Amino acid sequence: MSDAARPVESSLPRHFLSVASLMRKFGPLLGLLILCGALGAASDRFLTADNLLNVCRQSAVNALVSLGQLVVIITAGIDLSVGSILGICCVIVAQLMHAGVPPLFSVVAAFAIGAALGAINGILLTKLHLPHPFIPTLGMMNVARGLALVISGGFPISELPSGFRFWGAGSLGFIPAPLILVVLFAMLFYVFLSRTTIGRDIYAIGGNPQAARLSGVPVDARLILVYSLSGVTAAAGAIVLAGRMNSGFPLAGVGGELDSIAAVIIGGASFLGGVGTVGGTLVGALIMGVLRNGLNLLNVSAAWQTVVIGTVIVAAVWVDIVRQRAAEKG
Amino acid sequence: MLRDVSFDVRWGEVHALVGENGAGKSTLMNIVSGVVRPDAGELFFENRPVHLHGPRDAQALGIGFVHQELALVPQMSIAENVFLGRYPSARGFVNRRAMHERARQVLAQLGHDMDPQRPVAELSLAERQLVEIARAVAFESRLLIMDEPTAPLSDHDAQALFHSIRLLCERGVGVIYISHRLKEIFELSDRVTVLRDGRLVLTQPPSAVTQEHLVRAMIGDELKQKLQSVAAASVQTGEALRIEGAVNLSIHKGEIVGLAGLAGAGRTELLEWLFGTGGTHSPAAGIWVNGVPVKVRTPRDAIRHGLALVPDDRKAKGLVLGASVLQNISLAAGRSRFFMRRAQEEQAARQWIGGLRIKVAGLSQHAVHLSGGNQQKIVLAKWLVTGARIFLLDEPTRGIDVGAKAEIYDMIRKLAADGAAVLMSSSELEELMGVADRIVVMHRGQIAGELSHADATEEKIMHLATGGVD
Repeated sequence: MSDAARPVESSLPRHFLSVASLMRKFGPLLGLLILCGALGAASDRFLTADNLLNVCRQSAVNALVSLGQLVVIITAGIDLSVGSILGICCVIVAQLMHAGVPPLFSVVAAFAIGAALGAINGILLTKLHLPHPFIPTLGMMNVARGLALVISGGFPISELPSGFRFWGAGSLGFIPAPLILVVLFAMLFYVFLSRTTIGRDIYAIGGNPQAARLSGVPVDARLILVYSLSGVTAAAGAIVLAGRMNSGFPLAGVGGELDSIAAVIIGGASFLGGVGTVGGTLVGALIMGVLRNGLNLLNVSAAWQTVVIGTVIVAAVWVDIVRQRAAEKG
Repeated sequence: MLRDVSFDVRWGEVHALVGENGAGKSTLMNIVSGVVRPDAGELFFENRPVHLHGPRDAQALGIGFVHQELALVPQMSIAENVFLGRYPSARGFVNRRAMHERARQVLAQLGHDMDPQRPVAELSLAERQLVEIARAVAFESRLLIMDEPTAPLSDHDAQALFHSIRLLCERGVGVIYISHRLKEIFELSDRVTVLRDGRLVLTQPPSAVTQEHLVRAMIGDELKQKLQSVAAASVQTGEALRIEGAVNLSIHKGEIVGLAGLAGAGRTELLEWLFGTGGTHSPAAGIWVNGVPVKVRTPRDAIRHGLALVPDDRKAKGLVLGASVLQNISLAAGRSRFFMRRAQEEQAARQWIGGLRIKVAGLSQHAVHLSGGNQQKIVLAKWLVTGARIFLLDEPTRGIDVGAKAEIYDMIRKLAADGAAVLMSSSELEELMGVADRIVVMHRGQIAGELSHADATEEKIMHLATGGVD
């Protein structure tokens, strides 16, 4: 399939391979490499295999959640409820296992609940004609967090079965198990977005919903699917996080919506919709993870870390805009 | 882009500027309005050489640009839009009474008495155009550049606009008028200049040239014969589409039916309703495709029954501008499959890019970078790939150049010759009379009458379109 695409690329005039278009494609990756280089120079503990694997483990939850957020943002939407859906799934999966439900079924139930809550977001958006996805997902953010607190009584549910904990804390050889999960999800999302007709519909909806509809794209059904997918990845994040912490706690994933939005946007997607890739989003999540890890190694206080990350988010989007302007001129 | 072009405008004249897309019209106008500085050559205003360092310099001299894309704030009033960014004010407070009064004066100069306090959102396209011109006039512009002001207007509204332009010229304002509609150039302009490939081909009073002469100057000789309308008596083999209800209409296979009417007569509503976009009211009760009654609730249903819609606004409704040529062409086809078939899609796209002579740099070029004519051909190609048999075309040649127009007419005739049914709406009567086998005229959401290709004249169409009875 990729062979068939190649002749087209080569028939393009040279300016399609200009610096601007390369920057567009590999800009975030370049940023990540520079960041790693700088942190490696500043701390001799950063560029060690152990630490880098640790970064992967720490970034896994955000990477999973960001994949769903990416699909939403491609449709020019936003999902503010992913952090809370992660929280409620965390609590439910832990509570089910405490009630004696086998881990496998508990995990399936968590995915189902994530998908259902996401689908409710999509249905509220399309069928009630709420003006912007901000509204239903903001509502869901509060409702799901509230329910997580109600179900758990406000206390963490600790001591989970070791088979379950594998996906958060375990390793296969030297590879952290959560990393395997991220790679699996990323491959599925990559194929879904770039090789299926539904994936193409999703990009078209973000680019121009009106034209998509007039071309026969069932816009409402696609949007409901998109928000359910975001719920599913939030549930996946919940399973990794609960496993790693050995506990389902009701405040899990607070702020997760903002971390995931940041990763997607740093990874080159646009709030205007129609643009965004799985690869870019993974790089975005890694940039966030590397920053946190590196700042920890450099003994920067948590308060200052927040300041740095806020600055990086704005800077990344600004760089992206500069990039786009350059591309338009070139 | 431009070579050896010498161009002048006199006070009180309308100087029309024509040429295909890419001929250099925009470059020339960008130089005059200060957006672009020329590498060589000089610019004189009132016989004095001037150097413009930006659009503000041009504005200060009294050169105003009425843009093709309207830049109005719909939530604000007419007066607020006219004086946007430079309200009459005293010590930081807007003097609303003075603003409304001056807006009223400016509109009166254009021959209109609209209430300047009305919000722009309520205005028709033609009225918005007027507000845009009023903005330039309020700026004391003595030279106005108008870039295709009539492109979105019906013939009737265009006449009202011409009246306003003539009033301005009587007051000594010079107008540079860019248009693709040759007929109005003969009607409105005092001189016409043709550009082709960055060179000036001719400058003449329109009385000294014929329309054919102009077309040949614009496109060279090779495409000329394509323009001659040969509405071939097509073979009619059975009914393709029938609507019954408040609007009754039947179209045969191989037939091109023109849809005429003033802006707001309900042409777009009819075409979009046929395509299942679910507007608030239905112009008819039932739809029959190939003699079989069908339900069209969504565009998906319409596509399944072999319908295709080329919408009136290709940028807003026809294309995903940020997506590639390939993605746009493939968007409507292959929906039943889960995985895309890249090789197959690319082959189909290439076939129609060749068939429609679409000029693209490659399949991954973004649609936004194409000219209007090529964009419209992409929309057409999207439907050709689906194998549609009933084509609903809403203003298919709006705002595109003469060469691309000819190619689109050509394609429409080929489709019909191939047995497809075409229902084509247009505000340009000439175009309908050239292409259509028969013309259906709408007035206030109803069909006011029907004229055969042989019978149709502009007078008869306008008579029906304005509500006259036979």
